Amino acid sequence: MKHFSLLVVALLLFAACSAEQAPLVANDVVITRPPPGMQMSAGYLTLSNNTAATITIDRVASPEFESVAMHESVLEDGISRMYPLDTVAIPAGESVHFKPGGKHLMLMRPTGDAGSTTLEFYSGDALLLTVDATMSD
Amino acid sequence: MGSRNIFIAIVAVVAIGTGAWLSSLVMAPAALPRTATVLPAPSDLPEFSLVDQNGATIGRDVFRDHWSLVFFGFTHCPDICPLTLQVLANARQQLAEAGQQPLPRIVLVSVDPERDTPEVMKRYVGYFGDDIVGITGELDEIRTLTNGLGIFFEKSRQDGDNYSVDHSAVVILMNPQGQFQALFSAPHEAANFVHDLPIITGSL
Repeated sequence: MKHFSLLVVALLLFAACSAEQAPLVANDVVITRPPPGMQMSAGYLTLSNNTAATITIDRVASPEFESVAMHESVLEDGISRMYPLDTVAIPAGESVHFKPGGKHLMLMRPTGDAGSTTLEFYSGDALLLTVDATMSD
Repeated sequence: MGSRNIFIAIVAVVAIGTGAWLSSLVMAPAALPRTATVLPAPSDLPEFSLVDQNGATIGRDVFRDHWSLVFFGFTHCPDICPLTLQVLANARQQLAEAGQQPLPRIVLVSVDPERDTPEVMKRYVGYFGDDIVGITGELDEIRTLTNGLGIFFEKSRQDGDNYSVDHSAVVILMNPQGQFQALFSAPHEAANFVHDLPIITGSL
């Protein structure tokens, strides 16, 4: 009986979680189409952490690109620089914006001519989020 | 003319004069650039030998006979360079719609000539507009041009064989005498160019 109660509680919690929001949510996703002859696109989106703990993204992948890197454009004393980001931490209950002129995804070497792309966000071996997006000009 | 008509005429003159005086108080004496820094004396460029996106050899005279907005970047730049070219193309479009003459020409100078061949530049600038000029060539000659304009750039190593290039984010305005006339500091917004260019080019 005790086990049954725990199961009910677990099921209720699961229902509550899925009825509300997923732990990690992506919004405002924009993937630019590579300019003609170019091998790279930029990805912009907002990642929101709906959990009570920090979520750290340490890898992004896409079947449509050979490589995806997290980068940040920074303006320092009038110099535009780009830094690779090994990890991006999203604090509990907060959002991180990937936007033009700031943090962004650099998608390199498209594997095909697909008009849409899938992004996979990992923390260690755990796939936390899959996002489908169409490419825009 | 009766005394009544004279009275009306005087009232009209006083009203017009008062109106003109009041509006002179309200109106700014002359519009000033909002974001651009205009050089007190335009400066000449050193001579250089580079190529445009069609492979044609060009020197400093390429800047003559046009107002040019010159940006420094590279085609393997996914974020800032497309963003800036888009801002400049939007500004030009808005100026065209407002009937601005002459329209500025947009010029991209590559700070990554190793990868930016004329063919690559042609495809790239053509994507952002029909009349954008792309300039590339020997690294030493590019340095001559950038040093003449106070532009910094430096390769920065990244993962594997991929690299990025750090570069000054400023947009330079060249005058039709081919001289460095003004500069716009980053971050760039189309509205800043739309506001300041007609004032600087004296066509307001």
